[in-house]
Amino acid sequence: MSERLQAASGAGRGPDADDVLSVSNLSTRFFTEEGQINAVESVSFDIRDNEILGIVGESGSGKSVTSLSLIDLVESPGRITEGEVWYRNPELADEFRSNDAVSVDGDHIDLRTVPPRVRRSLRGPSFSTIFQDPMSSFNPSITVGEQIAEAVEVQRRATANPRSTRSRTQGYGLGQYLLDGIVPGRGYTSEESMDRAIELLEQVGIPDPADRVDEYPGQFSGGMLQRAMIAQALAGEPDVLIADEPTTALDVTIQAQILNLLREVQEERGMSIILITHDLGVIAEMCDRVCVMYAGEIVERGTLSAVFDDPVHPYTQGLLGSIPDLEDPRSRLQPIDGNVPGLLDSEMDDRCYFADRCPKAMQSCLEKPDEIVVDAEAEHGAKCVLAERSYDPDEALPADYFGGDSE
Amino acid sequence: MVSARVIRNLKKEFRNSALAKIGLVLVISIILIATFAPFVATHDPTAQQLDQSQLPPIGFSETAERTSSQMVDGEIQTVTETVEITPDPDHVFGTDSLGRDMFSRIVYGARTSLAVGVLGTLLAAAVGVPVGLLAGYHRGTVDDALMRVADVSLAFPSLVLAVALIGLWGRAAMDVPDPFVVAGLAPEMPESFVLPITVVIVVGLVNWVWFARVARGEALSLRGQEYVKASRALGASDNTIILRHVLPNAITPIIVLGTVQVAAIILLESSLSFLGFSGTTLSWGFDIAQGRDYVSSGQWWISSIPGFAIMLSVIGINLLGDWLRDALDPGIEGEGGAA
Repeated sequence: MSERLQAASGAGRGPDADDVLSVSNLSTRFFTEEGQINAVESVSFDIRDNEILGIVGESGSGKSVTSLSLIDLVESPGRITEGEVWYRNPELADEFRSNDAVSVDGDHIDLRTVPPRVRRSLRGPSFSTIFQDPMSSFNPSITVGEQIAEAVEVQRRATANPRSTRSRTQGYGLGQYLLDGIVPGRGYTSEESMDRAIELLEQVGIPDPADRVDEYPGQFSGGMLQRAMIAQALAGEPDVLIADEPTTALDVTIQAQILNLLREVQEERGMSIILITHDLGVIAEMCDRVCVMYAGEIVERGTLSAVFDDPVHPYTQGLLGSIPDLEDPRSRLQPIDGNVPGLLDSEMDDRCYFADRCPKAMQSCLEKPDEIVVDAEAEHGAKCVLAERSYDPDEALPADYFGGDSE
Repeated sequence: MVSARVIRNLKKEFRNSALAKIGLVLVISIILIATFAPFVATHDPTAQQLDQSQLPPIGFSETAERTSSQMVDGEIQTVTETVEITPDPDHVFGTDSLGRDMFSRIVYGARTSLAVGVLGTLLAAAVGVPVGLLAGYHRGTVDDALMRVADVSLAFPSLVLAVALIGLWGRAAMDVPDPFVVAGLAPEMPESFVLPITVVIVVGLVNWVWFARVARGEALSLRGQEYVKASRALGASDNTIILRHVLPNAITPIIVLGTVQVAAIILLESSLSFLGFSGTTLSWGFDIAQGRDYVSSGQWWISSIPGFAIMLSVIGINLLGDWLRDALDPGIEGEGGAA
């Protein structure tokens, strides 16, 4: 299947020079007691310099697992079973060029082949993540300032000794912990890191940052904490910022502020953002390119305008159809019937996974569709037969074809 | 960690609970008595006065039958007379079979119990908490291996395990010089205090499992917290996360368990002393064992008074533990917002 994917995504034949990150054929499986769950199924995409890539899909479509797979934070019983994650980092590529076990292609290095400690050393300085719920993403027993300073500290170690992955990964030893506990006023974080934390808080628009650094997460509001989390993520000066539903837990006015902040920060620092959300409005406002995920696969991709103005996959059409239309507020919304499939390997037939919910399911949907290029210019591709042909009611599957399957 | 909120909760819970007050008073008294034992005790607890043996505590008179033999006209005559033994105001709790002052023995026994209880708990926590945190945080094989070891040591009855370990290692004891006596403040008291090292190690090794289980449970739930994930995503190492994010948030139940464990270890120490496995003779359990033979002949106090001492200290520490648990309960304390 990989060679068919290459056609549209450009992945597989190695990353392009302007790809910060190029993911190819990434599969993540969870080995649970009920069976194998294919949370991410041969996903390929790339993130370029200075862009915001949106990944959109329903709950359970594999968006978050994809992002966790990128930074190697998939938890047991989950495992990345296949795929390449090419990351552009000339220094790292040089360091490993002579190493046979590590795949290096120009300035890019395949993170799936480097030792785990190197992958960890990249978290923070190379990839940062903003999580969905700011309230629970801060340790309630440590001040906000300390937690941001901690991230600064990680970055300092990385820059102080970029060649040695060992020093980057060095943690916080037991001896130091005991010392901190006994000697009052001694922190894990240095004075400079704390000053940097204040600076960062100011950048993300928190008033009186010098006072607020000493407050605990409980004393911050949700929107403030989300800003603080962005500050924490920026502390590492990452190349790629992964924002996993950054605004879902916030109310609408705060959402807009946070999105503006993200955009500003992205433009200012010239980094790339992967924005994961189920909110099409957020995607429309923020992203340059979009990937639509369903059942662990990317079913449609392309530039924002290509996907939103001219959706090919009935799933994308369904998603877009379920947004209220301001111009015609009286019309009923059109929900997509049914739910995302459970992704259990044993229950996944070899067909288009969306066929059981698809209003345009046809006989040919019983075969697994390849990714088909819709518009090469807009990098628009879709995993749907409708990209090549139009819907033929004569071939339609009977309405009860999946009868017991969908419920 | 000790935030204003924690102190406020502690105070509030203390005001509302009479039991907490009783517990605190008991525990503080025991600590003071144990610390200043040379000043509290009226006699050297090890000094024998055979002419004053088996004196009852103040307020209790004993009648005892004394049999004496006399040579009357070349024949031995046995005369049995009933004597009344009156308590000596010098010995508040009476004396034991060798004429040692019970009150002083109780006072010094508090030292042994408290020292073994606290040191044993610290040792148990020092072993159990890291094991539990590592197991809970890393899960998988590490968890399985460590927890199976814990299960195995839990499967042994703790007393049997303790007896077996002491049998293996012998009864080592350490003489700790008593600073007050060395400084010449209480010259008539024993110069050193005997710390039964083996007992400390054994009770620590028997009870570490509880700490491991609690720490593991906490680590398991805390590792799922977003802030742990966030910290990992920001590049923190596992040890940093365990020490900075997991341990501080897991400390409350560990502290509560610690107080309860002190009481449990005091009981275990008494049991071991009762069985004769202690390295010291200044122990409540040892005194109970000594007095056991005299209970049937009427000298109940030799066993009962140390028994009361054990009871009061265990009740006191447990009440204190309950107070801490109620005050530090995360349910009351709240995790801030969406938790």
